[in-house]
Amino acid sequence: MTVLVVGETVDGHLVAATRETVSVARSLAGGPGGVVGFAAGAHARAGAGEFGRLGISRVLVAEEGRLDRAPVAATAHAVALAADAAGADTVLVGGTTFGRDLVGRLSVRWKAAVSSGVTEATRVEGGIRVRRPVFGGRATETRRLTGPHFALALRPHAFPIPEETPGTPQIDTIPPANLPETLFAPQRTALEGASAGQGPSLGDASIVVSGGRGVRTAEDFRLVEELAASLDAAVGASRAVTDAGWRPASLQVGQTGRSVSPQLYIAVGISGAIQHLVGMVSSRVIVAINSDSSAPIFRVADYGIVGDLFQIVPALTAEIRRARAT
Amino acid sequence: MEIAVCVKPVPESETRLRVAPDGRTLDPEGVKFVLGGYDESAVEQALLLKETVPGSTVHVLTCGPSPRAEEVLRASIALGCDRATWVEATAPLAADPVRAAVAIAAVLRSAPPGLVLCGKQAGDDEAGLFAGALGELLGVPDLGYVVDLRWDATTQRFRFQRVTEAGLERWEAPLPVVIGLQQAWNDPRTAKLPNILKSRKAPIAKFPADPAASTSQSVPEKFELPAPRNGARMIEYKTPQEAAQTLVRILREEAKVFP
Repeated sequence: MTVLVVGETVDGHLVAATRETVSVARSLAGGPGGVVGFAAGAHARAGAGEFGRLGISRVLVAEEGRLDRAPVAATAHAVALAADAAGADTVLVGGTTFGRDLVGRLSVRWKAAVSSGVTEATRVEGGIRVRRPVFGGRATETRRLTGPHFALALRPHAFPIPEETPGTPQIDTIPPANLPETLFAPQRTALEGASAGQGPSLGDASIVVSGGRGVRTAEDFRLVEELAASLDAAVGASRAVTDAGWRPASLQVGQTGRSVSPQLYIAVGISGAIQHLVGMVSSRVIVAINSDSSAPIFRVADYGIVGDLFQIVPALTAEIRRARAT
Repeated sequence: MEIAVCVKPVPESETRLRVAPDGRTLDPEGVKFVLGGYDESAVEQALLLKETVPGSTVHVLTCGPSPRAEEVLRASIALGCDRATWVEATAPLAADPVRAAVAIAAVLRSAPPGLVLCGKQAGDDEAGLFAGALGELLGVPDLGYVVDLRWDATTQRFRFQRVTEAGLERWEAPLPVVIGLQQAWNDPRTAKLPNILKSRKAPIAKFPADPAASTSQSVPEKFELPAPRNGARMIEYKTPQEAAQTLVRILREEAKVFP
């Protein structure tokens, strides 16, 4: 069975979420030979070349520059054509905003059984079985998808990125499709960096450090930011912090903010209201630092430090800097 | 402007989750179904547009079983939606975003609205597939993760923003378009009591689900709740430096998440 991996590129480089799909693609294809890459847009060839270093020997490209500024809907048509050209029965994509929008379109465009936020995918008799967290990580569902076509958006950070090896793929161009003009009507007019100079964005980071009410003042929130910087982590905040205006609402993690599921989540001075927990409980490893040993955050955390965050956090930042320098 | 807003009844966020007796789905027994946070933002966005674009009407649609489907429609009417459509469907059909899109598209096709709004995902299954499927069925582009949709009457285009991994994207789009909205950016209004009372008697158009929505390619096999966490392993220490050293060692050697 052939699996088409849809590459998402930023400045000509495959994003981490794309690289994470490769091990799943190999397993669903029954070996590396059955995996074909796909890249679209003005820089499609650069992204295609990077597939070679991930052990993928054939890549289809749609070098349509205008796809870069158009909705995913247009790219979805090109992906469906590429999947058919490759003889693929499955399309895999990293479950970013791009990937999730894409598989939604493919459910109809390519008549595919689809799933998003997938953390496990295995071939079973007549289909693919997927597992995925639901209810903000408070439950997990298993679904059986029946084909003949499948399109899966994998949950970011749920799979490892394979080691890169030297390799140059064969690159074939997909002829410009008769993409409907209506799909190009919406246009992206500008892109402003997530948090220029402030480390990775909240949704994309593998480590998130969040601060809560216990930080006490807008000024002291920098302790949280310094800890985050020492780990190259994204900065998050509880609702108390954003409601108080100490930091912008875009940093809020929780039910009314962002849901995150990084490899490591460090909660500083956050008591752990359910409002916050639903946004971070599916993180792989959770560390809580809080002065109140009965705070609910310690019930979901893996590791806890009870103490004065104004002493613990600077010590931790210093220790992390030291450990990473050696 | 004719604005359609598609909503899905989801369990109240404080619901204590339980597994159904067959082990495949959430046990709906005793669960209160409401408009979710994303849908609240979508309805609020529809009403904001109605207030700023003269001659607009808001048509709320849902797909699902009784009584939850009717309840969220009446809640939307109480908030200010002008008319409501209920596509009657079983819970399993409504729980599949692609089949729900097929059922809703079958109704919308008879008089396609210029603008279709929905939450960018539902708060229960968090799939985020509905807008894309609906857009493809209607032959209209869709964009998810949208905040702050504004209509520019001069250019006859929407201006809006999307929050993605890449950062803040600014977009423009003419009609027709399907938009999936982020939650909690527009401070959704609450219904006033007289409007809640009036909404109880409001007419609701009912349709059976289109037969095309009966085919399922996605069957639930298991619904699991995580084993309760044992609680954190507390780090003992005498000085903050010792606590820091112990935690770094654990993150590096045990949890293997140290960068």
